[in-house]
Amino acid sequence: MLQFVLSGLAIGAIYGLMGMALAISFYVTRVINFAQGQMMMVAIMIVSALTAADISPWLSVLIGLVCACVVAVLSYVLAVRPILAFDRFSFGWLVSTLGFAVVVENAAAYVWGPTSRAFPPILNDISVPIGDSVLTAQQLLAIGAAIVLTAAFELIRKRTLFGKLGMAIAADPEMASAIGANTTAVAIVAFALSGLFAGVAGVLIGPSTFANPYLGDTFGTYGFIAMMIGGGTEKPAAAMFGGLLLGVLAEGANATINSQASDWFPFLVLVVILIVSPRGLFSSGSALLRLRPARLAPGRPVAG
Amino acid sequence: MKDRMDGSRGQISLSAGVPTGRLAPVRRARGAIFVAAYLVLTYGIAQSSLNLQALALVAAVFSILAISLDLVAGMLGLYSLGQGGFFAIGAYLTTIVAAQYEVSVFWLLPAVLVVTGVSGALIGAMSLRVSGLYFAITTFVFTLVLTVLATDLSITGGLQGLLGPAFPDFPDSLAPLGTPVAWCVMLALLVAIALVWNIRRSPFYPVLLAIRDAEPFAEAAGVRTAVIKVGVFGLSAAMAGAAGWLFSFLGVVSPGQFDWAVSLNILVMVLVGGINTTLGPIVGAMFVTMFPAVVNIDPWLQEILYGALSIFAITMFPEGVVGLAKRRLAALLKPMARETAAAETPMAAPQVARTVEADGAPIVECRGIEFGYGVGPKVLRNVDLVVRRGHIHGLIGPNGSGKSTLANIIAGRLRPQAGNVLIKGVPVTGQAPSERARLGMRRTFQAAQLVRELPTSRNVMVGLYNGVPRIVRRAPVWPLLPSGHRDAASMLARAEQALRAVGAGNWVDARVGDVPHGIEQLTQLASVRVAGPEIIVLDEPATGLSMSEVDHLARLLGQLKAQGVTMIIIEHQTRFLFPLCDQVTVLNAGEVILTSTAEAVRADPTVRQIYLGEG
Repeated sequence: MLQFVLSGLAIGAIYGLMGMALAISFYVTRVINFAQGQMMMVAIMIVSALTAADISPWLSVLIGLVCACVVAVLSYVLAVRPILAFDRFSFGWLVSTLGFAVVVENAAAYVWGPTSRAFPPILNDISVPIGDSVLTAQQLLAIGAAIVLTAAFELIRKRTLFGKLGMAIAADPEMASAIGANTTAVAIVAFALSGLFAGVAGVLIGPSTFANPYLGDTFGTYGFIAMMIGGGTEKPAAAMFGGLLLGVLAEGANATINSQASDWFPFLVLVVILIVSPRGLFSSGSALLRLRPARLAPGRPVAG
Repeated sequence: MKDRMDGSRGQISLSAGVPTGRLAPVRRARGAIFVAAYLVLTYGIAQSSLNLQALALVAAVFSILAISLDLVAGMLGLYSLGQGGFFAIGAYLTTIVAAQYEVSVFWLLPAVLVVTGVSGALIGAMSLRVSGLYFAITTFVFTLVLTVLATDLSITGGLQGLLGPAFPDFPDSLAPLGTPVAWCVMLALLVAIALVWNIRRSPFYPVLLAIRDAEPFAEAAGVRTAVIKVGVFGLSAAMAGAAGWLFSFLGVVSPGQFDWAVSLNILVMVLVGGINTTLGPIVGAMFVTMFPAVVNIDPWLQEILYGALSIFAITMFPEGVVGLAKRRLAALLKPMARETAAAETPMAAPQVARTVEADGAPIVECRGIEFGYGVGPKVLRNVDLVVRRGHIHGLIGPNGSGKSTLANIIAGRLRPQAGNVLIKGVPVTGQAPSERARLGMRRTFQAAQLVRELPTSRNVMVGLYNGVPRIVRRAPVWPLLPSGHRDAASMLARAEQALRAVGAGNWVDARVGDVPHGIEQLTQLASVRVAGPEIIVLDEPATGLSMSEVDHLARLLGQLKAQGVTMIIIEHQTRFLFPLCDQVTVLNAGEVILTSTAEAVRADPTVRQIYLGEG
């Protein structure tokens, strides 16, 4: 019992980080970045390639994270900004971020080949017994990193001018730029942050998945589910709760139903949650959290 | 499928035989040339090598999918990522049933259409609780779930998938035509093209765009928007299901062919080709499906090139390739198009104004209305209001007094927490705005709700929605019906006449996005007036109008009153309002202060104090 909860939290932290990465860029630009998983993959591939060239794992990790941020910023500059500049409400970003993901993924496969490569174990070799269950230090690191990053992000969002600008731009970019906010700069920082979160997720999971150019899609999808379950489209931190919940439920399904259950169980959870609360469990519009039901007819009322 | 194929041929010959005005021969010739060229192309594909055929047929199946998505995304603004799911249902249903039972595959087509259509309507109804991006996400989840089911269930053959059924051979007499499945796929694509082409040329098209861009306007014109959205979504799902039915004949059916990436790719096809165009989805589908075969290089480099090209295409041509071409072409052909449009419009008899005696009986009643927006104090408290037939009833009050809220309650946009609204003595509380439109009530909006990309005359046509019998059911075959041309011409004539009647006759061909604010307001008024309503609710009609425009508006409202129309007008400009009104109700802080004649209101000391700000 404790074992699957703990290892569920560890893998859930990875899903949550991916979910938050998606949510942070969504929060500022209202764009779902389909290339998010690729940033994680880039971090993993760079770390793998650098350590193979006898560079210290910790330095490689640092460089890997920077590369993930650079790819994220590139995705904004090349694939998101031109679209939003033409029409803020168009869905063209779907084409361009998907195209960007295809380019990055296949470039990685072209450079490094389609097969899995070695990844430095980092802390994966150290076992830590907790009660009668065992975690690796890497798993504990994942849980710890998730807590620290989520808390830090929330602090920045609520307590700093940058965070408040982000909120203002999320609500109304035109208004925010009218009062002098540099929406481009904020968006670039947000995308860099999202790349950092994805990169951290990659470095944390790398020792168990090894380095493969096609990892991005899988984790991108799980990150998306985490964001939707949690309601991260409104509050990025909610994606972390969604991810942790997803991780525990998936591990629980594996332990109690059968070893293949984690392939389909998360989707079942997602469907049930979206039926109950279309915007996610921890969103402000959630049916579970709503105390006062508003009695409005559909559509936005015109205030008198 | 046989029925459908025969049907389509029949319809086309029907259209050729119908005399439809002066331009009919030209249109007939153009249609015939298109169909002939298409049949020659189909013959060519049916005779070609297997490789080329496979390429063309996959492109055609995806074209149907892209068209089905464009139907909901382009015309209704519902970006569905569920098309891949319906596609999968169609393909798996056909493959599994054909393998297990001895049924002709042609019998499976109606089954597929019904199953996917109904599940589409269900998914649509569920997803409509959320809009925009969340709609895309909910439908996306539907596709994700179906892919997982297809992978993990044993009946679907897991990751390997199943071999699709064989398509029956032609009878000997038709054998020279070539491969039968090629004919079947290409004719199905022709039906799909004809379907959306017809809808785009029917008067239902402005209604769909109104639902997309200005839903309150469409509702107020009597359109049951939710039903239409669910219905069109069901139709689109059935088209995607039919594409799945066709796809099962082309080889193996496996989960990888329907996963979420496929749904996304269908949207990519629509966006790259040009959303809300007839040819765009086909161009996009050809680009996406044929790219790997045409660009024959290292597979990774090829994918990189594909990704880079799609980024390039969408950033350079945000409206899609066909969208851009269409705009350029329209700029070139503009003068010509106008002439033809003018030549096509026969003059209809002018609308006869109804004269109704102002009998003074109550026509709209509010009894004990209570309303509040979630938190905070109530916006309306125990509001009673009686509007008499033939009157102009003014509703005034300071900002925040609840005027617009009351208007929205009367028009059905908001639902009161307590109390009743009666129209012509019928309680309508809780009924949608579209139901009230059927009772003869129309409304205008403070900020005009119109389709900016359509001409004013098309917007006014939306107002006639209730007056055209079976507009929804006829839309898919509209241009083929003899009654279609007649009705469309008379609707356009009535709309243009209504625009002339309000003094916007010079603007009938101008797009709403290009007209000045005053004309926008007059277009709104024309769209309301064209239906000949008994009651009109006007929400601050004079906002932002110049002095002369306000005078013009006052004259128009006076004319309407002379025709016996009852009006409820919310307004701040008392100088404009008072001379028109039979009765004026003053609201303050959600309560009725006074209902009386304009003179009495003007003289009342309380009103002077709270509203006119005198001490």
